[in-house]
Amino acid sequence: MHSIRMALLLLCMAAAAHAQALAGGDIKVGGIFDLTGITSDVGKSFAQGVRDGVQWTNENGGINGKKIRLIDVDYGYKIPEAVAAYKRMVGDEHVIMINGWGTGDTEGLKAQVNQDKVPYLSASFSGHLTDPSKTPYNFFVAPSYSDQLRAWLRWVKDDWKDKSRNPKVAFFYGDNAYGKSPIEAGRRYSKEIGIDLVDEEIVPGAFQDATSQLLNMKQKGADYAYINVTTTGVSTILRDAKKLGLATKFGSNPYGFSEALPQVAKEAAEGVTGVMPHVPFGEKVAGMKRLVDFHQKNHPNDTHDALYVRGWTYVLVWTEALKRADKAKALTGEGVKAALETFKEFDVGGLTEPVTYTSTDHRPSTKTPIYQVKGGKLVKVAEYEMPRKPEWLGL
Amino acid sequence: MRSGEFHTSYRVDMAIFETARARWILTAFLVVLFVLPIFGSSYWLDVLNRAAIAVIAAMGLNILTGFTGQISLGNAAFMAIGAYTTAWLANRGLPFVIVIPVAGITAALAGMVFGVPSLRLKGLYLAMATLAAHFIVEFAVTHWDSVTGGVAGTSVPFPSLFGFTLASDRALAFLILPACILHLWFAKNLFRTRVGKAFVAIRDHDISAEVMGVEVFRFKLLSFGVSSFYVGVAGSLLAYQARIISPENFPLSLAIDQLGMIIVGGLGSVLGSILGAVFLTVLTELLRLATGALSGTFPALIQLFAPLKLGVFGLTIVLFLIFEPDGLAAGWRRVRNYFRLYPFAY
Amino acid sequence: MEFFLQLVLNGLVVGSIYSLLALGFVIIYKSSGILNFAQGEFLLLGAYVFLAISSMHAPILAALLLTFAFSAILGIVLERVVLRPLIGEPIISVIMVTLGLSSVLRAIVQGIWGTDTRPLPTVFSLEPIQLGPLPIARGYLYSAVAVAVLLVILTAFFKYARPGIAMRATADSQQVALSMGISVRRIFALSWSIAAVVSAAGGVLLGTMRGGVDGSLAILGLKVLPVVIVGGLDSIGGAIVGGLLIGVLENLSGGYLDPVFGGGVKEVAPFVALVLILMIRPYGFFGKVRIERV
Repeated sequence: MHSIRMALLLLCMAAAAHAQALAGGDIKVGGIFDLTGITSDVGKSFAQGVRDGVQWTNENGGINGKKIRLIDVDYGYKIPEAVAAYKRMVGDEHVIMINGWGTGDTEGLKAQVNQDKVPYLSASFSGHLTDPSKTPYNFFVAPSYSDQLRAWLRWVKDDWKDKSRNPKVAFFYGDNAYGKSPIEAGRRYSKEIGIDLVDEEIVPGAFQDATSQLLNMKQKGADYAYINVTTTGVSTILRDAKKLGLATKFGSNPYGFSEALPQVAKEAAEGVTGVMPHVPFGEKVAGMKRLVDFHQKNHPNDTHDALYVRGWTYVLVWTEALKRADKAKALTGEGVKAALETFKEFDVGGLTEPVTYTSTDHRPSTKTPIYQVKGGKLVKVAEYEMPRKPEWLGL
Repeated sequence: MRSGEFHTSYRVDMAIFETARARWILTAFLVVLFVLPIFGSSYWLDVLNRAAIAVIAAMGLNILTGFTGQISLGNAAFMAIGAYTTAWLANRGLPFVIVIPVAGITAALAGMVFGVPSLRLKGLYLAMATLAAHFIVEFAVTHWDSVTGGVAGTSVPFPSLFGFTLASDRALAFLILPACILHLWFAKNLFRTRVGKAFVAIRDHDISAEVMGVEVFRFKLLSFGVSSFYVGVAGSLLAYQARIISPENFPLSLAIDQLGMIIVGGLGSVLGSILGAVFLTVLTELLRLATGALSGTFPALIQLFAPLKLGVFGLTIVLFLIFEPDGLAAGWRRVRNYFRLYPFAY
Repeated sequence: MEFFLQLVLNGLVVGSIYSLLALGFVIIYKSSGILNFAQGEFLLLGAYVFLAISSMHAPILAALLLTFAFSAILGIVLERVVLRPLIGEPIISVIMVTLGLSSVLRAIVQGIWGTDTRPLPTVFSLEPIQLGPLPIARGYLYSAVAVAVLLVILTAFFKYARPGIAMRATADSQQVALSMGISVRRIFALSWSIAAVVSAAGGVLLGTMRGGVDGSLAILGLKVLPVVIVGGLDSIGGAIVGGLLIGVLENLSGGYLDPVFGGGVKEVAPFVALVLILMIRPYGFFGKVRIERV
């Protein structure tokens, strides 16, 4: 027993030494993605976007000549796996920054990234990550979930034609940090603009059937409902609602709403609105050409969606920050953070709103477009800009 | 060259180390084990710590399932109880010498509560009751926001003792490894005492044991208690090691994995718990390294790590059950006896 | 009142799928005494195989029959390769081997198809049928009818058909059955393939009702345990009643208690029921009481 255990340990240490030897003079960036967990339906497209963006950057000059090495892992949307991956990336691989994913793990790691001074760009748009006085090393590229919900609520108010009463709204959200992220902001804003929040329904992370929750909502008579889960969950809710013959109008957040939704939910998705901070793939904006060309060259047979575009925009933002930090000869965690905070209306070619970070405000933008599914296609119907209220920072 | 074991007194028969050489080998191994954390990289220290925690948990489960024959799927729940107790107490500034035993005792009490069905249920039915216990505890943890932080989880400060903090994986190893050795030592000795033999009697034939005067229910409860204490301590150390705990740290698959560890290692054997836990923990890491290294050439492999881990675990369990039902410990003993008795066959 | 009825109705329909799953479990237990924790994975695999075949543009009926054929063969193969060597081993080994098997099957599905949702061809339109004041989804209705038909067929099979009677005989006592000339080996193979097919049917129904298959179908496997405990491990009638009961219980507790506890009650309610039944009537409502003799 002793000899076997010794041999195993020696083997493992040799392997570790070998792995470390492989690293060269590249810039190491960590990537924590969900490819197999409960949000993998959107996680995979995003990861592909990031990988492609990195490959394109390396093929087009890198970071002032240096290549990026993306060290990516699949953490299956499990917080312990993310923590372990983080420890490996920072402790062993010494990555300079991390492109992360989920709300639960990002919020869980926020103290750690602050201590280790590792800029963390998460796909999570949680409002809790926007206040640099609390989370100075957290960034993301979109209006926060809270601002997005506010924008949708404004759309509801504008869409509601009956002047005799306020519109009644319900929230559907997952039983995790991601689901709960914008809810408090939504509650307060509903009161502020005269919307009656009549019901809140919680769904588990993965579910087959939302009928009992929908029936509850029907009892409360909601006219509109906002769904804060991912595409698979939104589809289940929409289909169950249709089966129950509900007249409620549904809306979704940007991880539930994309080109994939009409494909999965089919006719149940008709008329559903959604927040889309990143444009659909193929939209006619200046920055799309790069993506389309890359797609043509490398995987012309795949379909891509707004999540893929989102991954690309993230790479465009942080490679720009790396370039600025490198020019300032400050290619460290703090240097990259400082570089990000010099972004003023940084243009990403129309793929999303221009990005601004300051040392007191990590909200990149507050303008949110609202799209709707019409005839199976995504069509822009409105756009709302939230004021940058200081009391909303960190909410 | 030895030609077999010939014991001439009860004392020698009950001894843990059959020869002086075994004692020396173990001492040397322990020395190396304690020197290792000084040199290890932070990744492998993490693995070492997690393996040691798994060993403690597997040992606990083995006491209950391997030695006492009570099938339990509630391990993850007891680990959660130990971990959340630790988080709650540590966040109030208590030193780890108090926190860890208290966490263990809390888990032990919970274990005894969930052991009550064992009075009337056996086999599959007991497994079902413990499975239900898992879901009930999971529900409680997820919804008792004020104490557990709900789904977002709670963070755990470093273990401290009168101002002295263990602030890194390296330092934690010097807490976890001795704890592990201590628990294994206690377990080994437990089965030389009356209590341990009562456990084994219950496993082998509980009706006969009752007839012989072993108070079956009392010892079953005690077994649940001791086992859950071990698992609670493992959960407590996990809380310190992971720094952030949430319900996701304790899914049902954790309990199933631990059952797998003791099956692969060998039911009813202290050595089996060690081998099983280390084998499966290291296997996971080797898989991770393999998929990571090969993902340069085959990027799609990263996506396969999760199903691979699941599949290889399951396959290992199935293969061991078909071909080596008594586990690695039995295999090790066969190999050791072969070399010890060479060139004789027995 | 309407709320209550709607919940009950939904519960009955969802419960009918649970009954199918439980049936498979009970069939295997009844004939070979083995507890198959991989039953949920038979459902999962059935759903995905159906997806694979129908996405090759095969007509629905052909896809269905091919899926059933696949499941039948899978059942036979697994019984032969995995379970046969474990005859006579202690119960924990049998439980663990089926748990290991469930992991392997789940890993295979995840490895080949990934975890995202794959849409299935639309079999039922989403427009609900009105039963009085309550709308029911078409898919649910068809599923309930299909389950009822299957149950009638299976009950008749076990009562009147020779293989069915042979299976019941084997369940009672393998040695006596052998001495009567029944090939116990063939019975085992038959029971596993029937169980796999029944679960695959459940998977196909569930997939078509939801419009797609995804990895979350795997969690259904656990729900079968409260059902068979409530109904009785070796009772077919119990599996049916248990499935419906658990389905209704889930929906009622979800509908009335979720707002109180903030969600999650739906998932834990079947297990609370499980504990209660184990305390009061461990052998379920219809199971045979096992008496231990020294």
